[in-house]
Amino acid sequence: MKDKELVEKALAGSQDAFAALVEKYRIKMFNLAFSLTRNREVADDLAQDIFIKAWLALPKFKFQSQFSTWLYRIAVNASKDLLRKESKLRKVSLEDSPPLTLMQEDTTNEFDAVQEDEKRRKLVHRALESMPEKYRAILILRDIQGMPYGEIGSILDISPGTVDSRLHRARKMLRKRVLQLSARLGGDYAVS
Amino acid sequence: MRCHKAEKIILRTWDHPLSDSERQALSQHLQRCAACRTMRNEYHNLQQTLRSEEFPAPQPYFWERLQPKLQQRPRFSIGAMWKRWSLRAIPAALGVILVVLLAAALAFSPQPEELSQSGILLRNQNPFEESPLLSEEDLENPNMVLIFSALDERNSLRRYFP
Repeated sequence: MKDKELVEKALAGSQDAFAALVEKYRIKMFNLAFSLTRNREVADDLAQDIFIKAWLALPKFKFQSQFSTWLYRIAVNASKDLLRKESKLRKVSLEDSPPLTLMQEDTTNEFDAVQEDEKRRKLVHRALESMPEKYRAILILRDIQGMPYGEIGSILDISPGTVDSRLHRARKMLRKRVLQLSARLGGDYAVS
Repeated sequence: MRCHKAEKIILRTWDHPLSDSERQALSQHLQRCAACRTMRNEYHNLQQTLRSEEFPAPQPYFWERLQPKLQQRPRFSIGAMWKRWSLRAIPAALGVILVVLLAAALAFSPQPEELSQSGILLRNQNPFEESPLLSEEDLENPNMVLIFSALDERNSLRRYFP
């Protein structure tokens, strides 16, 4: 059954139809939430929160965009709210990052390719966490989730030209921060 | 091609197909610029890392945990409402009060009553009240003295002597 039919049934009060929509999108929402939070439990709570907000806002859905785009918009806004609340409690920056244990143990050749990969992943995510919300969101949507430009523009409510320029700045910023972090921690990220 | 332009094209390769001329120009630049080759490798590594992101499985019984929450209607809480709107409500209320006070001040301020000549006469008021009279001090003003003395002189000249 298509999204539109499911949404219409859900609007008529069918929880089964909404359950089908949840089943279809729960992994995507969870992955988006995990990309932003890097914590399984928090991501799960956030994914639940996204669907509760969608359920409550469903009467306002006017079928002017695809349901998936609308749901992603709710997800991005809910994630931003959560990150804002978190940032009030804990300001993430390159300066106060806890040391990466895997990076510090890199004095011997005991680590194989998988560990190297994991090490790089941690470094990149540490740098990603320190970035401003708007750059972080666009990198997650484009480079992690692999969304097309048009959909990203609809979700973030920006033009394709702005998607292009923001993505360009975000990638440059990420590289710069990864190199800074790598230099500070004594690692060598540059060439694998 | 400059390094700045090369970086722009490298970043575009993941989103748009490059034209033949762009690909050739980039290739030539990379052959002679070691810094840009390093930069391209770094961007490539970043892309690989981001695109090969591994996600854990969500917690089980997602819908079973979600369903009871959907049935709960959002509870109305005065505290939460106040928290949400207080920051906007206070300046808005102050603005409204200010506008009301200004309107009241304009509406009730005493306006000078303008009467016609007949109205003034009916009310038995002096019609020349507003026209300024020469005071004693003005008469003592040297200029005034000169003016009046000149008038006197003219009058004397015009006087008729039979």
